[in-house]
Amino acid sequence: MLPLQSTLISIIINGLQQGAIFALLGIGLTIVLGTMKFLNLAHGALYLVGAYIGMLFSVQRSLADGTLYNLGYTTVGLKATEATVFGVTVNLNFLLAMVMVPLIVFGIGMLMERFVARPFYDRPETGQLLVTFGLALVVQEIIRALFGPTTFQAYQPVQGTIAGIVSLWRITIIGISLVLIAATYLMIEKTDFGLVVRAGTEDSEMVRLLGIPITRSYSLVFALGAALAAFAGLIGASFQTVSPPIGTERALVPAFLTIVVGGAGSVVGAIAGGMVLGFVFAGFQQLAPQWSSIVLFGSVAVVILTRPEGLFGSAEVST
Amino acid sequence: MSLLEVDDIDAFYGQSHILRGLSLTVEEGQICALLGRNGAGKTTTLRSIAGAVPPEVRSGEVRFQGERITGRDTEDIAMEGIALVPEERRVFPNLTVEENLHMTQVSRNRSNRIGRGLEAVRETRPVEELYEAFPRLDERRNQQAGTLSGGEQQMLAIARSLRQNPGLLMLDEPYEGLAPQIIEDVEDAVRQINEEGTTVLLIEQNAAAAIKIADYCYIVDQGEIVFSDTAEALREDDEARQRYLGV
Repeated sequence: MLPLQSTLISIIINGLQQGAIFALLGIGLTIVLGTMKFLNLAHGALYLVGAYIGMLFSVQRSLADGTLYNLGYTTVGLKATEATVFGVTVNLNFLLAMVMVPLIVFGIGMLMERFVARPFYDRPETGQLLVTFGLALVVQEIIRALFGPTTFQAYQPVQGTIAGIVSLWRITIIGISLVLIAATYLMIEKTDFGLVVRAGTEDSEMVRLLGIPITRSYSLVFALGAALAAFAGLIGASFQTVSPPIGTERALVPAFLTIVVGGAGSVVGAIAGGMVLGFVFAGFQQLAPQWSSIVLFGSVAVVILTRPEGLFGSAEVST
Repeated sequence: MSLLEVDDIDAFYGQSHILRGLSLTVEEGQICALLGRNGAGKTTTLRSIAGAVPPEVRSGEVRFQGERITGRDTEDIAMEGIALVPEERRVFPNLTVEENLHMTQVSRNRSNRIGRGLEAVRETRPVEELYEAFPRLDERRNQQAGTLSGGEQQMLAIARSLRQNPGLLMLDEPYEGLAPQIIEDVEDAVRQINEEGTTVLLIEQNAAAAIKIADYCYIVDQGEIVFSDTAEALREDDEARQRYLGV
């Protein structure tokens, strides 16, 4: 295959994969911002938690430091259960992780809504920012204390490539993410729950005046966003080293960029924004890796200057 | 027993005392108008009845069909049969006409009702009936509400609240920003709704237009009721009109 062709294929595959992670992160952040007018700086912490829980479920890791190590645990996590499917080595534990991580973090999301977010709905935004940023730091430091500052190498549960260039795992992840994103989109667009969420982003008081207890939907919306972020963390961890700061650096910041590009409160915008950023990022990582982050932030600055409502947002929030 | 009894309520926005011992009653079947100058407390009265926060009602109570509703959640009061069409219509601009009208149906979903201690839930009004009453909305079913004209948005807001099949329909400045001809359409719609058996409580800056369709009128001034009598009596009472309404 020509080098140009393989470069293009890489960019497309990496762009889709990176875009899917950004979109998953962005959807959660944007629906919480849209419906509750709540700016959750702890969104990245959910990604971080997803990455660590996912790791514990899927593979055994050895520790060198941290409270768990001091307590006598030299290794953490379940031992990988490998099987060969159609000649490809697959770690079956990861399937378990794909179910358990969203479930656990869905629960965490509900608790977070009830005890962290809810008391702040009617308070000034600075209060929301401080409490969620504080929570993000607490989560990050708890993880650092437990596991030590060790970085864990990226771990891919499926080995093998197609034609020697496209990683089988990336293809799998793209497929699963796109299904998840499509399901979320359909839920928001086609169900009564989604209708309440969309109406709520426009005028939550009016929703209540029509007899709908929208505050109940809040915990579900929050938990859904949390589960999506955690899933992003689970799969993100298979492409990058896992360490405490990834919640902020690899999740919170990209999630914000995504909704800035897509327009706040818009699910379609988050999907589109995530994909655009994913391709920009992947393209530059392939061609000029040292410039990729710079271009990422630069392109967002351009969008914000020229279209403050986002590429896909209208002046009002919507899906 | 009156359909709605507002009994000596005091309502506050933060520190400001807006309603001062305000009382009024609305009889079943009436069109009742609450008039008064800007800032007199008209909207605050409707919001207090609907349980919207703010304002905060610190004393007194509101009874609907004899039952105290003060302090209950807005959404529960709505389910009891009080519908508020707020100022500026507040349609959901990015939702279609159909979706706007469907919102009320959603409130009847089991998942939205459980655990709320609501007694017999009022059936919603069939949406087709509303399309028949407002043919313009029928034509624009799949259009985003934000793209409708002001008059159409007002019709949609009213239709959306009628979908609740309310015992009491409250309209906050329904004529605001509408052309005279459209105002007539809205008037006709309100009359017809009333003839079909829905009690209406309406507030208006445009006192003359409101008196025209009302049976009974209240005037609120600085948070207190200063006039209450039939619309006919108010039409005759030049002094009250001049003093409190400037017309």
